[in-house]
Amino acid sequence: MSLHSTNGLVHSADATAPSSFPVATILLVEDEPVTRTSMAARLTRLGHRVLEAGNGREALEVAGRERPDLIIVDWMMPEMDGPTFCETVRRDPAMKSIYVLLMTSHDQPAQIAEGLARGADDFLSKAASKQEMTARVLAGLRTGRLVRELEMTGAQLESSLVLLQTKQTEMEADLQSAATFVHSLLPQPGSPAPGLSLAWEYQPALTLGGDLFNVAAIDADHLGLYIFDASGHGVAAALRSASLMTFLRVDNILREIGSYDPEKVLREANRQFPLSAEGEYFTLWVGQIHLPTNRLSYASAGHQGVLLSPNERPSRWLTRPSSPLGFDQEAVFVSDQITLQPADRLFLLSDGIYEAASPTGEPWGCWRFQQAVEAQQHEALATTIAHCFTEARRWQAQREFLDDAAVVGLELSV
Amino acid sequence: MEITQRVSKDAIVLDVNGDLTYSNRAAFKTAVEQVKSRNCQHLIVNLEQVRFVDSSGLGLLVLLSQSFKLSQAQFSLLKPQSYVREIMSLANIPKMIPIYETEGDALTARAA
Repeated sequence: MSLHSTNGLVHSADATAPSSFPVATILLVEDEPVTRTSMAARLTRLGHRVLEAGNGREALEVAGRERPDLIIVDWMMPEMDGPTFCETVRRDPAMKSIYVLLMTSHDQPAQIAEGLARGADDFLSKAASKQEMTARVLAGLRTGRLVRELEMTGAQLESSLVLLQTKQTEMEADLQSAATFVHSLLPQPGSPAPGLSLAWEYQPALTLGGDLFNVAAIDADHLGLYIFDASGHGVAAALRSASLMTFLRVDNILREIGSYDPEKVLREANRQFPLSAEGEYFTLWVGQIHLPTNRLSYASAGHQGVLLSPNERPSRWLTRPSSPLGFDQEAVFVSDQITLQPADRLFLLSDGIYEAASPTGEPWGCWRFQQAVEAQQHEALATTIAHCFTEARRWQAQREFLDDAAVVGLELSV
Repeated sequence: MEITQRVSKDAIVLDVNGDLTYSNRAAFKTAVEQVKSRNCQHLIVNLEQVRFVDSSGLGLLVLLSQSFKLSQAQFSLLKPQSYVREIMSLANIPKMIPIYETEGDALTARAA
């Protein structure tokens, strides 16, 4: 094997050598020593580092070790000829993108086609002028560099994608675990107090929902209930919601306010949960049932409210216009009272259910919810709620809701 | 959602066409920032062509109203459709932001 390297020596005396072009390593494969030496000298004068090999087999060894930027290979050689060398290089994953110039003394179209088909990138006639050789070598180096850049970008993209997918999986697992925690805070369906039954369905838009509710005993005589809608979506909304849910815990409210009086709860929540810098806020409905008398007192902060569906009578909304939390620090919240009758049903709902939009953009609307509930007065509570979800899904013509959808039903026994 | 900005006497009017919702909030914010950078003394948001405002959209309007109040400028809403009006009434918006039926009324109110 004949191997001659200039070790990057730059002969800038040649006026055709582009001074700004980076030094490239070129492997010259030619069995005829005189031609090889003369070409090597030309390439060296251009400022390149030149490696030499006398046949294809030697060249493969050098190329595998040195990874040249460009290979100039003669067609006719003993051991392994130029086209076979090209085919072998193209099959090797580590070398396949090296730019290969096939050198020939002929330039018949059929031969050129064969050379290209077997893996050469370009041709160089042995009779080419110094200028043509320089131009073809420079063009080849430029193309080779672009191919390497593309390969590198592709590899970086692929590794970024893998990284992103890993992060995404981690984040989804985190969100799922947070969602499991939040769900563990939601009330158990069944009987929250003697004479009352509870059922609900909740379909968060993301894994982690921002619209939440609860029904919980305050003391032996009182049951507290609330539902709130968080404006906005995503993790930020869910975090704010978890914070409001913590605030609304019975033990916290009793410690901070002394009672679960809806009016007072709203006033304090309004103070503690201002409109965020992004314009995000909550609407909240809070109720308290005095169990011995079935007296419900309730107040709303901008919430659509709760639908009271009495047995055999038309339903009505328990709400009044009021500021959502954080809109107005001076806002006044007023409690209303009613006495619930046997078989009365209360439906607490989030905006995600009644704002479910049809394909043309029309919201399902509170009145359609009301109709769905009234049509189901004689069905079991859980069936009625499931029916509402079916109707809302039918309206929006898709299963998933774009916002958190919740319907909570509370029924007094007959 | 499409937002067109125009000058009407002493006010800048944003004619909004489409839904004012969570997914459109960036476009609305951009339009409002442009108006603010012009040191606007009265912004009128025309809701005539807005079919739906969700809770996020409402929050943006309230945030805007608070920011205009701070800079002692006027912020008004124009001709909300009935569904939007219903949503706004429930949240007491009319008590915070003046709502007008005609552009003339909005302009006169400012002048007075």
